[in-house]
Amino acid sequence: MSALPSGVFFQSHGAERALVRTLPQRLWLVGFLVALVGLPWMLSDYMLGVATLAGVTLVAVLGLQITIGMAGQLNLGQSAFVGVGAFTAASLASHGFGLWVCIPAAALVAGAVSIAFGLPALRIKGFYLALTTIAAQIMFPIVMIRLPDRWFGGTAGLPVDPPLVFGQAADTPRAIYWLVLVVAAIAFLGAANLGRSRIGRAFRAMHDNDIASSVIGVDLARTKILAFFAGALFAGVSGALYAYYVRYVSTEQFTLWLSVWYVGMLIVGGLHTPLGAVLGVVAITALHEGVHAMGGVMLAGLSGISNVSGGTVFALTNVVLGGVIVLMLLFEPLGLAHRWALLKAAYRIWPYPRG
Amino acid sequence: MELIQTLLNGVLTGLVYGVVALSFVVIYRASKIVNLAQGQVVMASAFFVWLFVLALGWPLWIGLAAALAASVALGALIERTVFRRLIGQPVFSVVMASIGVLILLQGAAQLFFGAQTRPFPQVFPEGAWRIGPLLLNKALLIGAVITIVTSEALHRFFTHTRAGLRLAAVAEDHVTALSLGVSVRQATAIAWMLGTGLAMLAAVILLSGTVLGLQAAEIGLRALPVALLGGLESVRGASLAGVLIGVGEALASRFLDPLTAGAASLVFPYVLMILVLLLRPQGLFGWRKIERL
Repeated sequence: MSALPSGVFFQSHGAERALVRTLPQRLWLVGFLVALVGLPWMLSDYMLGVATLAGVTLVAVLGLQITIGMAGQLNLGQSAFVGVGAFTAASLASHGFGLWVCIPAAALVAGAVSIAFGLPALRIKGFYLALTTIAAQIMFPIVMIRLPDRWFGGTAGLPVDPPLVFGQAADTPRAIYWLVLVVAAIAFLGAANLGRSRIGRAFRAMHDNDIASSVIGVDLARTKILAFFAGALFAGVSGALYAYYVRYVSTEQFTLWLSVWYVGMLIVGGLHTPLGAVLGVVAITALHEGVHAMGGVMLAGLSGISNVSGGTVFALTNVVLGGVIVLMLLFEPLGLAHRWALLKAAYRIWPYPRG
Repeated sequence: MELIQTLLNGVLTGLVYGVVALSFVVIYRASKIVNLAQGQVVMASAFFVWLFVLALGWPLWIGLAAALAASVALGALIERTVFRRLIGQPVFSVVMASIGVLILLQGAAQLFFGAQTRPFPQVFPEGAWRIGPLLLNKALLIGAVITIVTSEALHRFFTHTRAGLRLAAVAEDHVTALSLGVSVRQATAIAWMLGTGLAMLAAVILLSGTVLGLQAAEIGLRALPVALLGGLESVRGASLAGVLIGVGEALASRFLDPLTAGAASLVFPYVLMILVLLLRPQGLFGWRKIERL
């Protein structure tokens, strides 16, 4: 097959439904993965840290994509579920459990907690559900720091030892980056495949029209709770990775603000596909770093302030992020993923204009 | 007697929540928009008051009037640039947009005013009245009276005037309202100006004589359970629900907090909110129109 994928056709359903369908796609994918694996040799330690954190964030946003984008259930408490996962992993790790126990346990505990807050889904729908997730987010730190110190460290938080992966301590930035990369790749594949499964189709049907989907046999209450559960599983994994990366967890790390940022990333990237989560996380991370790098200079030039603090950079990032979210909603509600799809279509049918 | 004092304080604090909840309700009641950024609007109004009264040194009443004008202008600006364009869009987009506005306002406030706390002018008299053995905080009591009067006036407006009923039609359904000749644009504009005006009132009642900082915006999320308990469409319900939640919080903090290291009173409104959503999603006085499964 040629570099331009025109005239691609398939001779079996399996070939058409595959995630990677043509040789050029396969080559691009391999090249992309090699680049990702080789990133530590290309980046400074600081940028590698940024990339690692982006990977951790990506797992949480992928979960959000399932809950919000696929199933249409607004979740404004994702960072609380990330926090539950982080504390679970940290607590288990401090009792001597390894990576293979901590990450799945973090996912399951976060999932279990999310069910408690998904329960009102039995009675209500739409935006009202977002309120219960806000409640989860607000209650999380209040409850967490009052639980016995032996469990989750109370107000002091918990330190976390580097994990052992196949007998090797993953205590260098590179090792953690690769760990996060592998998990994020699995998470992406999981989210992409979930969308193609029976459950994913139920999520989509419910998203598009809940009454119609219940008529064709989707158990709405169960599917809604499942959507919360699936999203929170990813959040739990993200939390465990976060604990391993930062090596310290405390309730101040998991704020409502972070949840709001997750949702913002998803909106900017595009709600309807896991690719949107990736694009959103990359775009907002790049935006944040851009503001971080240039914001100080810009502000000092504008107002003559010489001592630009981290708080000012944070504020400026918020102004830009808030503005970007509103602009995306007004002018490109389908997000960057839609732009990407248009670009690919233009490439495929070139030299003809538009598909 | 101590118990009565606890209840009384609960009622007064609850009415402060009530007035913030009222600003949620007014915007919802007239435009079907749940504005999650309402706390940030309250904070922004408070900063306007500080700016005119303390930073520029204008006389109190002129400064307050200027701050009210500035808040209403902010509301009109937000409505004009964001929410007017989203008329007819799914609720989801509208809620998302309000989150975008939330992030934007919080960032802008920090950028312009900084993260430090600053004094807030003493609008209402300081101290407390003594009635027998009971103490009544003057500022809160005056605030409570204003809240009740305002909510009654708004109730009259929404149920007994032509303009108010038109707004109610918009809250019911945008498309139907449009087809009956009700201007949805006008309704959202009025909703936002009323809502931000109320937010400014809430800021004054909440902060009079205390300190002002970025965390003032948290009142928005504390008032959300109140708005929901009262019913998002019910103007009167907001103050009553405020009283209920205020009293509940006061009781929880008196009887349960010693056992739970202070968690009970903080968690109480949100637990109640989840229970309300489970048992009576439309709130105490809301319209029964949330679709059932």
